[in-house]
Amino acid sequence: MAAQPYGLVAVFDTAPDIYHAAERVRDAGYKFWDCITPCPVHGLDRAMGVRRSRVPRISLMGGILGFTTGMLLIYFTDAYDYPLIVGGKPFFSPMFAFPVSYELTILFTAFATIGGMFILNGLPMHYHPVLKSNHILRGLDDKFLVVIEARDPKFNLNATRALLENIGGKEITELEA
Amino acid sequence: MSTHAASPSSGIPAFSASASATGAPAAGRALTIGVAGIVLTALGMLFTDPSKIAFSWLVGITFWGGIALGMLLLVMIHHIFDASWSVVLRRQFEHGLVSFKWLGILFLPLLVSVVLYPGSVWKWMDPHYDLSQVGGHGTVGSDELWVKKSGLLNPTMFIIVTIASFAIWVWLSARLRRASFAQDADGDVKWTRQNRITSAFGIPVTAITLTLAIILWVKSLDYHWFSTMYGVWYFANCARAALSAGVIMMVWLWYRGDLKGILNDNHLYCIGMLMLTFTVFWGYVTFSQYFLIWNANVPEETFWYNLREINNSDGQPNQWKWVGMTLLFGHFFWPFCMLLSYKRKLNKVALPRLAVTIAAIILLDMIYNVWPSKKNALGDPLPFLAVHQIWTLTAVVGIGGICIWAYLKSFSTTKLIPIRDPRIGECLTYHESSPD
Repeated sequence: MAAQPYGLVAVFDTAPDIYHAAERVRDAGYKFWDCITPCPVHGLDRAMGVRRSRVPRISLMGGILGFTTGMLLIYFTDAYDYPLIVGGKPFFSPMFAFPVSYELTILFTAFATIGGMFILNGLPMHYHPVLKSNHILRGLDDKFLVVIEARDPKFNLNATRALLENIGGKEITELEA
Repeated sequence: MSTHAASPSSGIPAFSASASATGAPAAGRALTIGVAGIVLTALGMLFTDPSKIAFSWLVGITFWGGIALGMLLLVMIHHIFDASWSVVLRRQFEHGLVSFKWLGILFLPLLVSVVLYPGSVWKWMDPHYDLSQVGGHGTVGSDELWVKKSGLLNPTMFIIVTIASFAIWVWLSARLRRASFAQDADGDVKWTRQNRITSAFGIPVTAITLTLAIILWVKSLDYHWFSTMYGVWYFANCARAALSAGVIMMVWLWYRGDLKGILNDNHLYCIGMLMLTFTVFWGYVTFSQYFLIWNANVPEETFWYNLREINNSDGQPNQWKWVGMTLLFGHFFWPFCMLLSYKRKLNKVALPRLAVTIAAIILLDMIYNVWPSKKNALGDPLPFLAVHQIWTLTAVVGIGGICIWAYLKSFSTTKLIPIRDPRIGECLTYHESSPD
């Protein structure tokens, strides 16, 4: 038997086709699979059963970290490391630490959002087995592809191929790992 | 550009019936409550100092006027951005705009007080006003700070600005409403263009009149004070109040069945995002005002916040300190944290509940800005928890009843949604993200 392939790829012609195909793959219980479409297909994420992104949680953590950093930075410099009276104000007050904390909240939230998106998407990714497929260029142009990965616990070369055929997939081919 | 295939006509037939099914009884009830509130407030003048009633009335006018102004600005912002998602929401705001003419009429008692009893509400209207009545010395006429500001702070300007502002707001809203309702009948795109042009000059004109009006009505109650943030602060409250009212109206209509199949999660999500935006905006503006005054530490400015924290006479903390704390946490931190959640923005129980909370706190914010300017002979602000606040409640309920009656009456005269708006198809199939 040949080496385990990366997965199976199937070609669909229209957006409604892939929308309904995605629903069937989702209902069959697959987890490690994806759709490749030349344009955004509205509602496809729901048809695929994709859950909401976890990026907002990372953003929130970034925001809290930024706010705390701002407050601690002003406290450390103005009240601890080099206490200095400015304008008759106390050594530390959240008032004048606030603009700094506010800016750092935004900055760190932005960093965390971008960074979180890269990490969760596994970016940067310079190579992906799908790129070896003959279909990929059509998939970025006028065809719609479904890719089911072999690492999915439900993956079985014959059964998965049968499923893809059953839901209307054409030109089903194995992807080299 | 729309990626949706749905044409404006495809989803319409089911909703083309006029929305006249709204209970006339609901409008009648609102009118009864409104009139009762106004009569009670008027009767209050027999029991308490009429100038206190005027303060209560001012709170009611600026609160409900704030909702209407927010709606006016949001409708114009909708047009100027050629927005699609908010078409359905816009129609409810258009109904809300009808309250301007009633608010203008309800402002008349205050204008009468300006003419007959100058100095009774706004001290600077009377140059002979004896400032020792409020913990100061000399008269207003001998007060250098008033003399320098008297170009704006005089009864003539007050009356001109008030009448002109209301005239402009009534005219703008009538124009926006007329064009939008006319489009229901003929579907002509020229109405959309006309509203865009109206908005292009309407936004700056409204911004200027709103700022002048709130400076004269509320900020000048303590005419010594300086703040460059005041108009923006009121605008932030206006937008938040209008969005809260928008959520309440939309979800109410959804529960009633009118908007079932029209109002989708993505609409609520967008309103929720705007609410979060304006929460941060309000926090930013309010903090900036406080921070600049705190940092500069100039007595002509700091006294305004001192009044709202400690008594002038003995320096002891007063009740307004806790009102201020409630505003800080209830008007910013609480809604901010609540609105961060994606799911709460879609929740048709939690979101309207939050909207009601925000509206209530905006009322508290208006009270916080208006009432402490009413001082006793020691210069201390009258306490927050006092019997005369009953008249604030009756005034708010009374003016609110009239505004809600006007809204419901307008609601029953037109279609539920702008069925021939060029963007209605996009709005009905609006899709932003996938709900989980």
